[in-house]
Amino acid sequence: MSKETSQKRVAIMVGAGYIPGINAVVAGASLAAGQLGWELVGILDGFEGLLHPEKYPNGGIISIDPRVLNLDPNTSSVLGQSARVDPFNVRIVNELEMVEEVDMSDELLKRIKAANIDAVISIVGGLGMSILYQLHKKGLNTVCVPRSIENDIASTSVSFGFNTALTFTIDMLDRARLAAKAAHKIAVVEVQGEVAGWIALQAGIAVAADAVLIPEIPADLQQLATHLKNNMTGKKSWGLVVVAQGAKIINQQKKEEKVSSLKASLSPLATSDSNSEYVIHKSGQAAQAVAEGLQLRIAEETFPMVIGPWVRGGVPSAVDRQLGVAYGAGAIQALEAGSKGVMVAFVPPDVKFVPLAEAINKVRTIPAESMFFQVADSLGIYFGNKEA
Amino acid sequence: MTDQTKNILEITGTVLNIQRYCSHDGPGIRTNVFIKGCSLRCKWCGNPESIGMKPEVSYDPKKCKGKECSICLKKPFPEGGFYFVEGDDSKIKVNWQLAKGITEKITSLCPTGALEMFGKTMTVAEVMAEVEKDASFYRSTGGGLTISGGEVMLQPDFAAALLQEAHNRGINTAIETACNAPWSFLEKVLPHVDTMLHDLKLMNSERHKKWTGVGNERILANFKKAYETFPNVEFIARTPLIPGVNADDEHVMGVLEFIKPYKNVIDYELLPYHRFGLGKYESLGVIYELDDYKTPSDEVVNRFQAMIDEAFGRTEQRSV
Repeated sequence: MSKETSQKRVAIMVGAGYIPGINAVVAGASLAAGQLGWELVGILDGFEGLLHPEKYPNGGIISIDPRVLNLDPNTSSVLGQSARVDPFNVRIVNELEMVEEVDMSDELLKRIKAANIDAVISIVGGLGMSILYQLHKKGLNTVCVPRSIENDIASTSVSFGFNTALTFTIDMLDRARLAAKAAHKIAVVEVQGEVAGWIALQAGIAVAADAVLIPEIPADLQQLATHLKNNMTGKKSWGLVVVAQGAKIINQQKKEEKVSSLKASLSPLATSDSNSEYVIHKSGQAAQAVAEGLQLRIAEETFPMVIGPWVRGGVPSAVDRQLGVAYGAGAIQALEAGSKGVMVAFVPPDVKFVPLAEAINKVRTIPAESMFFQVADSLGIYFGNKEA
Repeated sequence: MTDQTKNILEITGTVLNIQRYCSHDGPGIRTNVFIKGCSLRCKWCGNPESIGMKPEVSYDPKKCKGKECSICLKKPFPEGGFYFVEGDDSKIKVNWQLAKGITEKITSLCPTGALEMFGKTMTVAEVMAEVEKDASFYRSTGGGLTISGGEVMLQPDFAAALLQEAHNRGINTAIETACNAPWSFLEKVLPHVDTMLHDLKLMNSERHKKWTGVGNERILANFKKAYETFPNVEFIARTPLIPGVNADDEHVMGVLEFIKPYKNVIDYELLPYHRFGLGKYESLGVIYELDDYKTPSDEVVNRFQAMIDEAFGRTEQRSV
């Protein structure tokens, strides 16, 4: 790889979904770019700033200079936020006033070229990375910074955003424990984690929860009920169960829904959508289902709580501030080294540049041999059906 | 067979599904033909597989044989479109970003049917062959063919040909539409319709735009013009009733006010919202935007139904 020393114009953008402290990444990239004499610009609201510049009074691209802009890592992103960032699937209203989705990827690449942008740093999650991989295959010079509250992006040890979410979750679980203690009930708290249970398990260990239910290991509600019953004998009259949003539950009765004639009439491929083992996907439903299921199996009262989107607000943790700045600077280093189509990865003690083709289609779940399981086990935390 | 009839029979369209023995979309026992393509993006949509104009791939993990098969990891399947997650169950995962757009031919290589296409090209003759299977039911119940969607008006030539051919064979016709299309499209279809079920989703244009993607000015203008231009068609207004979106007095009264002057609008039906399409969103890799919305209570629905019954001068109250 040859070093890229000529002056460059680099753009930086943020994918969908808010994470505290994005400015730390922007600041890191800006400072590192400044050291090389490169110009850094920001694309507003995902790729919206380039695809629909007419929406913005001063165009959709802003100049980024840490001496001028407020890049305080505690403040929200100067780059704005977009709900959708997929240029291959842009929803528009066409000339016949009909809604449709169109592929604007070629147009986006043209506009990047017209704006004299040599490379794009993309702060994205797993889905965003697949989009950037597609753009890379079409010729975009891009470097991705992994950001994930769940820490589910493979090839890096820690994604930007995870530590802040973990810190906040632990704080909330401490409060839930106090509430449970005061009410002599079992708090069932749902935390982030659709496919990976890192937050649930690590936070559950930190607060010494009674149980942690995660997507990696199916949990048996009957076993959980027995475990809580055993824990709640004697002086302890309360319980704390941490449930990841995507926790797998077994032995949970699910009502078999018949396909009604109305449904069959209105819906082309009507089904009852049910099976015996299921994953709870939607925010708020996991805690509800577990709390209800437990209460039916144990003579104790349960109450569900959901941390949900609260975790996306606030200020970044100390770790994420450092990590964000380092990731931003790492992205500039990758470009300087001539890397294209890569993700900056933190593999202690190194920063590595992983090809996007290797970074996508992998999920960083908790491996069965993880030390965290051993710790949880030694603390007497129930974390799933060990026989499953 | 005249040349004209032959031509009608050869017209093709993209059909999602044909459902027999339906009883909610027009009189009697009916066969519903769902066609693909919609010009709205209602956030509550229960038929996400009907939105796109073209056939599209879907994935049912329950049918996947997993690692022992692995055919979709090789060419001609798109690179990176399908993958396994280490330590997870044995099912294939789909990277919808990279798998979207694969062809019917490639999809058909999946031996278990876990991958299949939603939608296929059919001729009028092929569809009518299915529809005619229940001709005796239509005769005995006053039923017939209903074209639903998606949006019927997005395939106006195909829909018009199907309806015309049904009439040629003495079969009653109905369509289910939201009418977000140019009038020139409607003009082709409506002459062949006996009953038009049409959605009045939101009477406030700004809110209509928020929830469906476009304002309702053209839609309402189309409805009015249809009522006036086709006095012999029976129109039935409908509202998918969703708490927090349109389950309020203002909307129901607004619809009643809108249809009141037109005697050929014979009824106004409420369709209480259910999370019908949730599983289908997953099989298409699409995010369901109306995550936390609930089904309206019986009390609310029955109250609105009483308002409708009163407006239509019905003394015996119906419950939904």
